[in-house]
Amino acid sequence: MDFKLSEDQEMLRSLARDFLTKECPKAKVRELENDEKGYDPRMWQKMAELGWLGLVFPENYGGTGGTFLDLVLLMEEIGKNILPGPFFSTTVCALPILEYGNEWQKAKFLPQVANGTAIWALAVIETLGGYKASEIKASARVGDGHYIIEGTKLFVPNANVANHLLVAARTSEDAEGVAMFIVDANSAGVEVEVIPTIAQDKQCQVTFNRVEVPEGNVLGDVGGGWDIVEFILDRAAILKCAEVSGGCQAVVEMTNAYAKDRVQFDKPIGSFQAIQHRLVDMFVNAEGLQYLVYQAAWEISTGFPSRLHTSLVKAKAGEVYQRTCLDAIKIHGATGFTKEHDVGLYFRRVKASEFAMGDSDLWEERVAAELGL
Amino acid sequence: MDFKLGEKEEALRKGIREFAQKELPSECFCLLLEEESRDEDWKLAMSISKKLAQKGWLVMAWPKEYGGQGASYWEQMVYGEECGYWGIPGVAMGVSGVAWVGPSLMQFGNEEQRKKYLPLIASGEADGVWCTAYSEPNAGSDFANIQTRAVRDGDEYVINGQKVWTSCAHRARWCWLAVKTDPGAPKKHRGISIFMVDMKSPGITVNPLLNYHDAHIFNEVFFDNVRVPASNLVGEENKGWYHLMQSLASERHSLGPPLYGNARRLLDELAGYAKEIQHDGKPLSQNLGVRHMLADAVVEAEMLKLFNYQVTWELTQGLIPIYGSSRNKAFGDQLLERIGIIGMRIMGAYCQVDPYSKWTKLHGIIQRVYLLSPGISIAAGTDEIEKNVIGQFKLGLPKSY
Ligand SMILES: Cc1cc2nc3c(=O)[nH]c(=O)nc-3n(C[C@H](O)[C@H](O)[C@H](O)COP(=O)(O)OP(=O)(O)OC[C@H]3O[C@@H](n4cnc5c(N)ncnc54)[C@H](O)[C@@H]3O)c2cc1C
Repeated sequence: MDFKLSEDQEMLRSLARDFLTKECPKAKVRELENDEKGYDPRMWQKMAELGWLGLVFPENYGGTGGTFLDLVLLMEEIGKNILPGPFFSTTVCALPILEYGNEWQKAKFLPQVANGTAIWALAVIETLGGYKASEIKASARVGDGHYIIEGTKLFVPNANVANHLLVAARTSEDAEGVAMFIVDANSAGVEVEVIPTIAQDKQCQVTFNRVEVPEGNVLGDVGGGWDIVEFILDRAAILKCAEVSGGCQAVVEMTNAYAKDRVQFDKPIGSFQAIQHRLVDMFVNAEGLQYLVYQAAWEISTGFPSRLHTSLVKAKAGEVYQRTCLDAIKIHGATGFTKEHDVGLYFRRVKASEFAMGDSDLWEERVAAELGL
Repeated sequence: MDFKLGEKEEALRKGIREFAQKELPSECFCLLLEEESRDEDWKLAMSISKKLAQKGWLVMAWPKEYGGQGASYWEQMVYGEECGYWGIPGVAMGVSGVAWVGPSLMQFGNEEQRKKYLPLIASGEADGVWCTAYSEPNAGSDFANIQTRAVRDGDEYVINGQKVWTSCAHRARWCWLAVKTDPGAPKKHRGISIFMVDMKSPGITVNPLLNYHDAHIFNEVFFDNVRVPASNLVGEENKGWYHLMQSLASERHSLGPPLYGNARRLLDELAGYAKEIQHDGKPLSQNLGVRHMLADAVVEAEMLKLFNYQVTWELTQGLIPIYGSSRNKAFGDQLLERIGIIGMRIMGAYCQVDPYSKWTKLHGIIQRVYLLSPGISIAAGTDEIEKNVIGQFKLGLPKSY
């Protein structure tokens, strides 16, 4: 048992902190929310140079050979600071390619991710908005040496700037008859429309009108697509929760500082127990979430993920982030309700993080199933 | 004991329902503080306020001579509930005029002031729109800490200072303003006075403050040597604090019934949505979690309804509600927040969509409640402050701050 990070991990974390503070101050976050692309290509290139985009790839694919836990630490910093852009969406597509891709696919696609030339987006969910195999209606028919994909995907993050899409489409009528396709985002018949969201985070509707995809672009087995989605979900959920955990920590920190600073009735508001206890609850929940994330991330890094431990985290994170932000706003009073104050930036991201990679209903069900229910 | 409302009240309920169905665009559902943000919403609100005035509803509680109907407390309550249920805009004309400027003028204004200002409000016209400027950067919950000064100069007062979070200042014709007139008073709440200020006066600057979702609800308002006739002082000089305690009671009391109406409507909409949406061939309404969340919220809504009834009943008995208005406000805020939270959960992934986009469900009302609820709970006294009032004045606990 050891709660301490390694020296390398400490270094990664402090490097990330410095980089993000310098390159992505809140003014930049706000600018990128209104930016059509939603990310800064210059910053993206620097992230590639820092080795972040291929953090967990082996060196032969242009990566730096880091662990999943390293990636989680980076996501935590990203969440703390808020970094708009396609880092998460690209990463959660790259992980399954690394795991399920054939040699040709890995050699072709991973180095482009690592060096910052390719952005990816995961296109799984549809009109019902959930991660269930039965909800996948988009179809992939066998054509002549290729598949023909037809259907509509919703809430596809960053598809507006993606070069490649990783698409779940139905190849047979049985429940899990789904395959994952690597689709060139510039293929004829791909239509992308940005959905205006509360988080202004460039989630998209992607329509596939008879899009032709070469047979070689199927990831893994044709019948095994849903296993890949599950693989992605487990990892992506933890990464998302790391981001949430970082967000909670930042919000607790700024609220704590404010409670010490803001004076009403001639006293810092933090001296009122109503405020103190609320803040303590926020702090304890954020800390608990952080440990849930670390435990699951460490287990994944060691190669022995626990389904229970993975599921717990995403079942809890959304609620913690929401409560933390709502309480933080209230402790700030009217200031917390404004556009200028940073707490609103976090609050507006609560639902986007909750619904990325399955909502708490899905994950609570999994926890229940792990209990044998 | 008798939990039935009279025929008159039920007839009014029916009348408002018919009015809402006839006059409101089908997707219209306006929450407290929402109407002043977008121009199109404000325009609609002002057209509705005129119609409410014509119906005799806008200021129904006021005596006939000031444009009202002398409506009973029960009628006022039913009116509040229904306006909340149907989300009727224009009811408050911004926020202040109908709910407390009018009642305050009747309580401690003079006849000349009543004659001039009450009919303007009662008409439902733009010249009857008010904002209220109490809060300042260093005076929020500790409202007595205000620094904005009014200094007498002949027949006028000269006002200097800064107000903040002033809802509707960008729409208002008049400002209901609290200032310091005696900064040397031994206790800080003793030197406060209330003025009515024409928002067109030279020296007033209104800067918009957007909320985190770009809604333009409140503003900062600067007063730079603004001259106000001495006749615009309301009540006694330096007695403003005591006047305002009465005024705030009207303000808080006015919030309970519409909050209940909002809550019931939102729950009905959510129940309808849950019946419609199918997951795995089963409507969402069959999902136990969804059923229980909605049921819990309905129970709390019923509690809020009875809290409103109880305060209203006290008023009819000539009693002054000591803690009930604070209870109803804080309880109502919490309920609205809770409905926002469960509503977002029920909407699923669509809850993250901008409320005004084409992908939104239920016309975006759930996202709007969710995003607005922290602000509503802070405005007009935070939950902590309301609970301090209840603890101190009802439970007899020692003052905690
Ligand atoms: C949407 C909106 C509209 C508004 N409209 C108007 C308006 O039209 N006119 C106007 O004058 N003002 C308006 N306000 C301002 C509102 O009245 C104040 O925001 C409110 O009184 C709280 O003050 P504050 O924001 O300075 O918070 P603070 O007073 O600084 O409070 C910060 C936190 O400390 C807590 N706190 C403070 N004192 C205590 C205590 N003694 N015990 C326990 N906890 C305490 C509060 O509950 C809060 O959580 C509006 C606010 C909002 C959000």
